[in-house]
Formats: sequence, C-alpha cells, structure tokens
Amino acid sequence: MSQMKFEIPEIELMKSGHVACPGCGASMAMRYALKALGPKTMVVIPACCWAIIDGPNPCSVNGVPVFHCAFETAAITATGIKAGLKRQGKDDISVLAWAGDGGTFDIGLQAISGAAERNEDIIYVCYDNEAYMNTGIQRSSATPWGAWTTTTPVKNPKERPKKDIVDILLAHHIPYVATASVAYPDDFIRKMQKAKSIRGMKFIHVLSPCPPGWKSQAEESVHISRLAVHSNVFPLYEVDDGYRYTISIQPKKVPVRDYLKYQGRFKHLSEEQIELIQQAADRKWDILMKKVEMGELFMQN
Amino acid sequence: MKDALESNNGKPVFAMSVTDMHKNKTGSWRYMRPIYDEKTPPCIKGCPAGERIPQYFALVKEKRYQDAWHLILEDNPLPGVCGRVCYHPCEGVCNRKDFDETIAIHNLERFVADQNVGNSFPQRFFAEKTGKKTAIIGSGPAGLSAAFQLARKGHAVTIYESLAEPGGMLQMGIPKYRLPREVLEKEINDIKSLGVEIITNTEIGKDKPWQELSDTFDSILVATGATKSRPMQIPGEDLEGVSSGLAFLREFNMQHKRDIKKKIVIIGGGNTAIDCARSAIRLGAYVTIIYRRSRHEMPAVPEEIAEAEAEGVKIIYLTNPIEFIGNGKLEKIKLVQMQLGQPDADGRRRPVPIKGSEFEIEADQVMLAIGEVPKLDFLPEGVHEKWGRVDVDAYQMSNNKGVFACGDSANGPIGTVVDAIATGKRAAIAIDSYLTNQETEFVHYGKVVGFNEINLDYFKKEKRVKQNRNNQKEVLSNFNEVHLGISESDALYEAERCFSCGICTYCDTCLIYCPDVAITKAPDGKGYIINYEFCKGCGLCVHECPRNAMTFEEELKWRIV
Repeated sequence: MSQMKFEIPEIELMKSGHVACPGCGASMAMRYALKALGPKTMVVIPACCWAIIDGPNPCSVNGVPVFHCAFETAAITATGIKAGLKRQGKDDISVLAWAGDGGTFDIGLQAISGAAERNEDIIYVCYDNEAYMNTGIQRSSATPWGAWTTTTPVKNPKERPKKDIVDILLAHHIPYVATASVAYPDDFIRKMQKAKSIRGMKFIHVLSPCPPGWKSQAEESVHISRLAVHSNVFPLYEVDDGYRYTISIQPKKVPVRDYLKYQGRFKHLSEEQIELIQQAADRKWDILMKKVEMGELFMQN
Repeated sequence: MKDALESNNGKPVFAMSVTDMHKNKTGSWRYMRPIYDEKTPPCIKGCPAGERIPQYFALVKEKRYQDAWHLILEDNPLPGVCGRVCYHPCEGVCNRKDFDETIAIHNLERFVADQNVGNSFPQRFFAEKTGKKTAIIGSGPAGLSAAFQLARKGHAVTIYESLAEPGGMLQMGIPKYRLPREVLEKEINDIKSLGVEIITNTEIGKDKPWQELSDTFDSILVATGATKSRPMQIPGEDLEGVSSGLAFLREFNMQHKRDIKKKIVIIGGGNTAIDCARSAIRLGAYVTIIYRRSRHEMPAVPEEIAEAEAEGVKIIYLTNPIEFIGNGKLEKIKLVQMQLGQPDADGRRRPVPIKGSEFEIEADQVMLAIGEVPKLDFLPEGVHEKWGRVDVDAYQMSNNKGVFACGDSANGPIGTVVDAIATGKRAAIAIDSYLTNQETEFVHYGKVVGFNEINLDYFKKEKRVKQNRNNQKEVLSNFNEVHLGISESDALYEAERCFSCGICTYCDTCLIYCPDVAITKAPDGKGYIINYEFCKGCGLCVHECPRNAMTFEEELKWRIV
C-alpha cells in the first residue's frame, strides 16, 4: 500500500468554537488525546494556552470534565482527582494532566517530580510549544538553543539548550514515557491508548507547533512537526519500564536546516549556528540509539 | 451537575461550565477559505480519449471491476484493444515517474477489460431513439468510437466497411500476437449491441455511390483511415518482391497468406514496420529493418522496438534505399548512409545522405512501410483536402455541411489507435450537436496537477508491476499473445500506488488534521463538508492534502456575491 492510511477513532469529544490560533498544534493534540481516551476522562489544565483555548466560564469545548488549576499544580491536582475517583469506586476514569512546557519544564516541575516519584496513576501530557506563548512568547526552559523569543531577542538569542524533560521523567523510574507529534496522529493515539492501559505514572511529551510564537505559517504546522521528527530534532520513541526504548517513526534524516527554515524564530541563525544545531541533533540521535541498544541488552539478560 | 444547577435557579453554584463554545463562530476569523476543488490529473489530459484514469482506479481499489469498465467505456469503447495496443501517452506524463516509476495504466486498463469479457453494456448506454441517422465510412477505431458515442445518444448508425471483417487497422494491420481477435470481436459485438449496423464488403464509391449515402443519412462521417502505402519513388520499385508492408499484414491477418521469402528487408521506422518485422520473424524469415534516421527519431513505440530486437529483428539506422536491383525479381538493395542535419517542420532532424557511402545488401523481399495516406477518391467534388486528408474544422466537420471526418482520414492528431478513438469521440459529440441543433460542448480541462503539487510525505517509493509474458522461445513459433496482463493482486497494488493527482480518494487527511473539528464526512460517505461557521482558515487541510484536491482561496472572493 502506497499511501499512509490513518486508523483513528471516529469519536469527537473536542468541539469547534475554541479560541486557539489558526493552525494551533495544541488544539490538534487535545483532539487526538480525547479521541484516544474516550468519554471516561477528566482533564486537569493549569495556566497555559489551553486554559484559554477551552473557552471562558461557563463554556468548555472539551466534551469531558475539565478542572482548571494553578500553574504549578497540574500533576498534584490530577493526583487528587484520581484519589477522589478511586475513593468513589470510579477507578475506570482516566485522569489527564494537560500542561504546556512552562507548567511542566519550569513551574510545575516540582509537582510532576513528586507525582512521578509516588508513581501516581495519572497520564501527564506536556504539549510543548517551546516558550510561554500564551503570555507573549517568553522563553522557557523548553525553548531550543538559538531560538528567538521576546525575552531572547535576535541580538541575544537563547544560549542554553532545551531541557531534556524525558530524561528527567525517566530518572523517576515510571512505567511509561513517550514522545509524540501532531503530524503522526495514529502514533499519538496509540501511545495515549497504551498509557490508558498502564497503571502508574505515564508521561507523554508532544511537540506542538505554535504559528505565532514560531513565526511560521499556520498551514505548515503539520509539515513542520513532521520535519522535526525526520530531522531528529524531535525523534518519536517510547520507553517502557524505564529502559526498553522503541523508536516509533524511523527518521528520514533530513537536514535540520529544512526544519528551521519554515520558522521565523530561527531566521537570524548563521550557517555555523545551524551546523551546531545539526551536530546536536545527530548527537541526540546517536545517544538515543545507544539507549535502544542498551535496552535490548537488558532484555536479553 | 443537574442538582447543582437546580439548587441555584439554574445558575451554577461555582465556576462550572454549562455549555460548549458553539456560539463562538470562529469562522469570522477567516480571511482565506479552503474548498474542495478537484483538478485534472496529467494522465487524463495526456490520454487523447480523456479516460478518467484515477476515477476508475478508485473503483478497481474497491474491486468494482464492472463499474470501472463502464467508466472507461464512457470515453473509449475499446479498452480491451487499447489495454493491449495503445502507446499509452498517459504513462509518459504520469506524475509518479518523477517519484519512482510511472503507474502501469496501460496494464490496468487491460486488466479491467479482461475482468469484463463475460459482461455486456449497462442499461444506461441504451438511449431512446432520436430518429436521426448517421453513416460512418470505415469500421476502424475512429469509426467504432464515433458509432458507439452516437448510438449512446440514441442516433441510428450504419457503418460501411470495405473489407470482409470490421475493425479496420485493428483487424488487418495489428498482428494477433499483440491483439487476439476475440478481444476485438467482443468489443465490436458490444458496440453492435447498441443497434449499430456494420455492413462489410461494401466500399463507398465502388459498391455503393456516395450520393446514396447523402440522400439517406442526416450526416456522414468519413473514418476510412490511411490505408494506401506511400511509394518510395526510387528505381526498381516495380520488381517482383517489392511490396507494401500493410498489404502483407492485411493478407496475412485476414487471408492467412503465409508465403513469404527468407531474407526480408523492411523499410521504415513506424509501427507498421515493426508489426511487419515481428510477424515475418514468426513465419521463419530473417528480418532487417532499414530506417533513415536514428533510434531516437523512430516513431514506433519504444517497447515495441525493444521487443522486436529481442526477437531477433536487426535494425540498421541512418540508412536509406536508393535502388532496388534485380532482373525481374528482387536480388539486392542499394543503400546509402545518412546523417542527421537541421530539424525540419515536425522537429525531427532531417536525414541527409552521406556522399560515397553507398553499399548493397542481399534481399528476396522488401516491404515498404514508410507511411500510409488516406484513399479519398470516393469523396464528392468540392470537399476540401489538406495534405491528402479531409480538411476539418474544430468540430471535425468538412466544408461540406453534414460531412464529418475523423481518425487518420482527417487532418489533426493522427497515427495511433487512441488518437483515432479520440477524434471519433469528438466527431460524435459534434455530430450529435449538429443533429440536435445544440451548442457543441467538448470537455475543457482545468488546471493540471504538477509533480511539485503532490505532498510526497504521504507516499513511499514502490516498484511498478511487471506484466506477465509468454516464454520468449515459444512466442516466436506462433502468433499467441506475447503479453498476458497482470494478476488481480498486482492490479490492486498498482491502483493503490496511483497518486490520484487532484482527485479526492476520501483518505480523511483533511478531516484528521483540522484543528477546529470543522470538517465532517458527507452523509453519503463520498467527500467532506467544511463547516465555515467554525473554520478559521488555517489552511492545514489544503496544505496537507496528499493529492492537491483542495484549493485555498481568498475569503473576499466568497463574501462579495
């Protein structure tokens, strides 16, 4: 069969009318996540784009209960809700903590670390648009090296690499960690469904293109996401039990330049700087491959 | 939740959502509008007959072979013939050629026809009679195509054929190893089933005067083809052993005359030359083709040339005969070597003889296949001709009102079966509007989808299918068909490979990527509906569409009505 065919649940829980920007990756991600988890789901949203996208009180586009909580408390609020549901005997309801990169990498890190260490039975999805987009594109610790934001202007672009949140979560020895992309909805949905079936803490990191913040064209969102995967900037993989690494989509190894060129936030980069990003992506991939090998070695023993 | 609302006069007791966002019509944000806009794939435009290739592939994918056949028939009543003998210009323009390999459209057409050998025309082809009568002179592909299209519109059609069997060049010219006659017979019988009458052994001007036709019929279509071999006009052409290639094919194909000599030389580089050569080699002759230009300029289908060479036909390029030598009977041919000079009117480089390069070869028989011209001496006075063909206008009509011409007997695209079918169809459309006094409506193709408009992220590289064929040694000892078509699994695989450029395949890509859940499936399952109340006009659906079946338009264009 030549053409990719999607196997996607028909159910649409998220409705039209939300206030995400045109071409928003986060809104696509929520749509897929709810398709995967179904109606028996509760969503916890801290301060982030989705706190707005969902609609003002008393409206909500998500066809499931949504609990808006404080910025740093997504993981602990989800923990509490899950405990309450359990107490009521409604353990079949999945609790989804849905936070941006700010609420995960920076402000909510302590709460997610705590929940992960206790191995709480929640699904934590970080939709990562690589800056504080909702408040006006300020840098976060998820902003990649060299990127423009309003607080890292072109004269002083970001000098530190993106924090490796997946490794941080893996250091907590939780049962399931995965990366996902809105360009591969079937892969994303499969990972969400798998997460739903696993007891304990699950963490899924979704790259979520942001046309205004990335200074990209709205229609390019999926294309850019796909290039992120194939340039090894954002490889898709999953880690079971903390050591079994599996690559989900084999990258076509396109140059990072192809990924960067669609985004105005990288427009100022020089050839040398692009080369550095290329080397970082290659290195990241090589390390990932070593981890895959190591996982296979453990499995044999 | 209900309790909480009731306890406070319908207002929530705490900040709690009670409704969704359906009142927030985000469609007002939009300044660009995505629309479903199917475009022309290059194959459809590349096919002279305009067969709707991706559309019938879609039916093949659903294993609806009969429906696929009906769809091909709309444009071409001879898919079994074309699936075997067409030079498939559609494949030459296929966008897939720039990705991996062009789609085997030719093989798929044959596959669909072969799946329907036991089936007859659908009911919808049988129209109510209009009472108008058309005579068609010649039952070749052009005449048959026109007859089919006219009969489908309800006009009475009578075809006059000078030979004993209908089919024209398909019957007398094309060898059986390329086109088994039962395939042709089946498709002619299908056309006859519409009420088309074919009167054989009747040559207009000889067995029946023109006047009789013009008195009886409302319109006449000349579709006699080009059947007169062009002479070489060099010394020795009247020697015994010098004959026309087409005459050899006709006598062999229709009267089964097998008496040929041993050392045969064929002059020419077109399909007739190749057909003569491959037929003669099957009768045990040693065959040499003499062609005055190089292989690059050879008008025959490249696959045919390669097969002829594989079967042992020797081809001498850049050589031209200047004299046939013999004493009453052909013994030798005097040849001269050529070189290519400046391009001439048709763009091919003109061959120029090299002085002093003359040489001789031995031969018992020469077949001339340097082209054929129509025989139009039956036409009444006053019908304009141009380069020996009937001079027709854009509607295939000659200067004589009611007299139309198509195929090789008219000027316009000539030479191949599918061109004949295409002009036959065109003539039928024009005749229909002439008979019913209506505007003629030909198909106008819109924007053709280019390779760079295909979203390659959705396709992976795959090999093209290979047609099965008979054993090389066996095919040379008889006239059994060389190619055997493709299997069902290969056909399904190949149909699936098609990009379906510009034609929606209901792949759901637009629906799945819509961030605003504004796209839903149409109730009949064929197509999608965009909810413009909510579509923000991000353009993801248009950009991601694998096959460019959508267009992004400025919203203003839609707002000012």
